[in-house]
Amino acid sequence: MSAIADSTLDGRVPKKLPKGLKVIDVDVHAHETPAALLPYCDMPWRKSLELITKMPERYLDIPFFAPQMAVWSPPFPQSGSERRQVVTSAAQMRKDLDELGIAIGVIFPDNLLLLGALRDPDYATALARAYNRWLVEEWLGEDNGMKGAIVAPSQNPTAAAEEIRRHAGHKHVAAVYLPSCCVEPLYGHRSYDAVYEAAQETDLPVMLHSVTAIFPVFPFNLNCFNTMFSAHIASHGLSMVANLLSMMETGVPARYPKLRIGFSESGIGWVPWIMMRMDKEYKERRRELPFLSDLPSTYVRQMFFATQPIEEPENMQQMATILSLFGGEQSVMFASDWPHHDFDHPNKVLQIPLSQEAQRNILCENARRFLNLKETA
Amino acid sequence: MASEYLIGHTHELPPGTHKVVTAGGREIGIFNVAGRYYAIPNNCLHQNGPLCRGAVSGTIETSAEAGWKPVWAREGEIVVCPWHSMEFDITNGRCLAEPRRRIPTYAVTVVDSEIKISIP
Repeated sequence: MSAIADSTLDGRVPKKLPKGLKVIDVDVHAHETPAALLPYCDMPWRKSLELITKMPERYLDIPFFAPQMAVWSPPFPQSGSERRQVVTSAAQMRKDLDELGIAIGVIFPDNLLLLGALRDPDYATALARAYNRWLVEEWLGEDNGMKGAIVAPSQNPTAAAEEIRRHAGHKHVAAVYLPSCCVEPLYGHRSYDAVYEAAQETDLPVMLHSVTAIFPVFPFNLNCFNTMFSAHIASHGLSMVANLLSMMETGVPARYPKLRIGFSESGIGWVPWIMMRMDKEYKERRRELPFLSDLPSTYVRQMFFATQPIEEPENMQQMATILSLFGGEQSVMFASDWPHHDFDHPNKVLQIPLSQEAQRNILCENARRFLNLKETA
Repeated sequence: MASEYLIGHTHELPPGTHKVVTAGGREIGIFNVAGRYYAIPNNCLHQNGPLCRGAVSGTIETSAEAGWKPVWAREGEIVVCPWHSMEFDITNGRCLAEPRRRIPTYAVTVVDSEIKISIP
């Protein structure tokens, strides 16, 4: 086995990018090790990180920091892509994004994708605070196309709201990340109203993002499966479905009409399915959701969806059809998920046969609206 | 009409190794699989990743004949794309995940320890 230390991007910039288009990528990942966050962490939790730093680091699987509980089929030689799958500095990210033809990237964490699995709310909040300080200090200091998503610890919505208000004024803070893996309760719960109030007030969008782990809350009770094949599909896609249903139940999009809500890392094929199911059910059960003043699809059409991992039918025309089912040309945003194992190159999205205008929307304009970015033409 | 390119000598490419060369303006991977030479493009049909920078290994297979027991098979015949781990059979260009699709293969000849590939 010979691991390749570089990105293997090899300068394979996207073919056929519309001229002058600045691609905005709403999901790239910075690698925050326990050691990196240590100096930014409040006491007494810094003492914990000092110990955790001494434990061997495994990829997205660190005891007390990113507990994944991976029980799936074991690896075989070359069963995972053998290239660098972490980005540890803004300079390295800039170089990688240049090779991908991406102008602006919105940074999400690596290990803190599993933040929702941590039970101790004080500790989870301390990690989120440390990450947010580290993000602002080490990644968002220059005008180099890096935008950040502030981590909102679900275990402590009041503290999450404080984090949003604390960092919202920073010119490169562009979103709020809602950790969706293992989150309990789901994001429709009234306790999160504080988070939505802060996000709406500061004009920052919220972005749901999951990852794979086993945990005894839906949809992470994945012990029913044997393989990462099943677990990975369920933990990303069904997490978005579960949280969208939960948010509709309590009328989040109706009660926070200016809040921009985005869903990440689940592709887009699920959107028309759940949208049509909700409309069907709502007609019979409208009284359960008195907050809504129109069909659920009306609200879904106001939400935003990131492309990655984009579905790949042999005939990419089918993706244009899927987009047309929920007004996706106005709400879908390109995401690469760089540098993760299932990142999408812009080439794949460029393969969808779309009008130039729709292509521009998906690669740039929809994200610009979602993030409320002013500087990109 | 096919063009022939000298891309190296056999002592540079012992069994179990491969390298990427440029011939006729294309990046091509040359593989020595147990003494036989194969050439495929350095482009994955999935998202155009540099396929031949990937590692060579065997793979997991099974069948009714094997009683549906997974077996480790075809050691040295499979190249795995470094971008998304898609597997290709070096000997015929076939994509293991999408058996209806394959990448081109180029004819390789060895004369007096010179390795030459033929590109249409």
